[in-house]
Amino acid sequence: MGQPEKFSYDNRIVRDFAYATIVWGVIGMLVGLYAAFQLILPQLNLDFAPITYGRIRPLHTNAVIFAFVGNGIFMGVYYSLQRLLKARMYSDLLSKFHFWGWQLIIVAAAITLPLGITSSHEYAELEWPIDLAIAVVWIAFGINMFGTLIKRRENHLYVAIWFYIATWITVTVLHIGNNLELPVNLWKSYPVFAGVQDALVQWWYGHNAVAFFLTTPYLGLMYYFLPKAAHRPVYSYRLSIIHFWALIFIYIWAGPHHLLYTSLPDWAQSLGTVFSLMLIAPSWGGMLNGLLTLRGVWDKVRQEPVLKFMVVAVTAYGMSTFEGPMLSIKSVNAISHFTDWTIGHVHIGTLGWNGFLTFGILYWLLPKIFNTPLYSVKLANAHFWIGTLGILFYAIPLYWAGWTQSLMWKQFTPDGFLQYGNFLETVTQILPMYAIRAVGGTLYFVGVIVMIYNVLKTVKSGELTANEETEAPARETIHVSHGKEHWHRWIERRPIQMLLGSAVVILIGGLVEIFPMVMVDSNVPKIESVKPYTALELEGRDIYIREGCLGCHSQMVRPFRSETERYGEYSKSGEFIYDRPFLWGSKRTGPDLHRIGKKYPDSWHYTHMYDPSSMAPGTIMPAYPWLIEDDLNTKYTSAKIKTLITLGTPYPEEYAENVNQELENQAQEIASNLRKDGIEQENLENKEIIALIAYLQRLGTDIKPSNL
Amino acid sequence: MYKYLLAESGYINWMAIFALITFFAVFIITIWVTFKKSPDFIKKMEMMPFSETKNHENN
Repeated sequence: MGQPEKFSYDNRIVRDFAYATIVWGVIGMLVGLYAAFQLILPQLNLDFAPITYGRIRPLHTNAVIFAFVGNGIFMGVYYSLQRLLKARMYSDLLSKFHFWGWQLIIVAAAITLPLGITSSHEYAELEWPIDLAIAVVWIAFGINMFGTLIKRRENHLYVAIWFYIATWITVTVLHIGNNLELPVNLWKSYPVFAGVQDALVQWWYGHNAVAFFLTTPYLGLMYYFLPKAAHRPVYSYRLSIIHFWALIFIYIWAGPHHLLYTSLPDWAQSLGTVFSLMLIAPSWGGMLNGLLTLRGVWDKVRQEPVLKFMVVAVTAYGMSTFEGPMLSIKSVNAISHFTDWTIGHVHIGTLGWNGFLTFGILYWLLPKIFNTPLYSVKLANAHFWIGTLGILFYAIPLYWAGWTQSLMWKQFTPDGFLQYGNFLETVTQILPMYAIRAVGGTLYFVGVIVMIYNVLKTVKSGELTANEETEAPARETIHVSHGKEHWHRWIERRPIQMLLGSAVVILIGGLVEIFPMVMVDSNVPKIESVKPYTALELEGRDIYIREGCLGCHSQMVRPFRSETERYGEYSKSGEFIYDRPFLWGSKRTGPDLHRIGKKYPDSWHYTHMYDPSSMAPGTIMPAYPWLIEDDLNTKYTSAKIKTLITLGTPYPEEYAENVNQELENQAQEIASNLRKDGIEQENLENKEIIALIAYLQRLGTDIKPSNL
Repeated sequence: MYKYLLAESGYINWMAIFALITFFAVFIITIWVTFKKSPDFIKKMEMMPFSETKNHENN
């Protein structure tokens, strides 16, 4: 053993990330709560664009995923990594850069999303300049982490660190893969992939954002903080190794389960289903490993709130990783998809697994770095029970709402007609469940406020040990040639090789699924009658994206009788080849819109967007008066067309140059239709609503027999 | 009955079979690797969160 070396742990960065976790958690949850109340009290949209449901829903998801959970990950990683490696972080400067860079990105998201600056890819809504900033900060985090790994004093890497390494490399791959886009201007870009290819890449990303941002780093934290809190080693270290490799290998394949019964080729859907089912094995292996760590110390769970939070977190992980594979079975998915069941499922994971593990770690870690006991165990227990009730009141009504609505969608009368032909009936039916969900969310939030009080009092009663002095022997150099050593033990001592190994394992699934979709033409059949959007329709489509319409409306009629009766012909993959980005959506709070084109007159859309309740009494859709008032910005129309031409959209030659004239002609036509129906407004043809009407009236009409 | 099952097996997509085989391959290799490890090494690794530093009594 080498001579002991004195060094210190950087607790200041841990504290900073802990504070950021709490602050952004409050903001993210408040936004979510406001959105939940908007669904029962649509007047809360206040006719004010930046706070309409469509714009703040992505703000909520981004804030809780990347701000609350993201900062929670960094808090836990910076604390555990230093201690497991017996080394201070590689660079204090990089730590600070990482911290402030991440907070600035979150602020940028909080400004741009309410302004409607969005790529519309779920959980990847931020536009390209912010994507670049994320890449820079993420690389800084990677350099800091791998720098620490290289200068460590401990030879072997504990399994938690493997999860951190896999997280880093996979998020890097996903972020690059899903953000391949060509900018039009500073705040607008179009993705390289279109339609069904874009959908596959997006859900390869979207699912793995859950897997490698909400799950693998938190599993690493579980493997470190749960044994620490229970004062017992993990139940089975062998099981943790199997858990790690099996999980990261399988998870990456499961993305297509978000696209069952869509226009995605059947083979890709089958792969998604098969691998999702297999996921139960490693997920439950990890869940049981966590719970069994508490063997013999369950009496402590009664007394210590930290363990209570962790037990419910691990249980929630088990529940959601059982439910996820079940929802991936096609016959179950036929019922659950597009309903609130999915929202309930997601929130078991986020409120239970991520939220409660974060709270457990905060209650354990802050007293440690502030050298003081927790201010009030009673208050922490109160937080636990309020939060648990909050989760139940949140999730159960949403399961109920999901089942109710889906069964209503599919219900036929004995004569063979849809029993609930008016979609709105299926919405008003579940409003009481939405109200109980809002109560659940409020309870959960109240619990967080209790925690903040407890944390403030704890912090005030102690003093931060910013640089925690310690010592450890220098790392021993092991002189064993690779040939004489077991290869896995060899790889466990080499972080770069572990990084490469993880990269290979996660790339297999991604490449097998995505390469054939991108490279083989037959996977994306063409339909001759499908033509690119006109300039006005394209501008309308971008308004649809800006307003976040896809948060409530899908554009994917599945091949079920209940859907073709309600909406029309089921959606074909060839209809989406010019859709950049694809807008299939994942939730139907309102009806599907893929066959809305030409279903209603232009004036219906005008009036509906101005005052939805005038056309559909009882609707919860917000009004969009600014679309009637604001002029359409055509400054970038030509640039948009040029960008799409570069990406392969076959616009006629010279189209980009003459685009404004064509746009004006189509706008005049729609304005004239509106005037015929008695709608009079100054400069009507220049308003945003005209572009949106053009887009909505085009939707799904390319394959209508009358157009062929 | 078996002849019907066999007849249907021809319709199973090769991608699904490939997925199943690769999953089992990864799973079996991982289990093999794991159980080849010596108990002493496993013990040392599982105690790692508790042997962070000599004077790190807080944790």
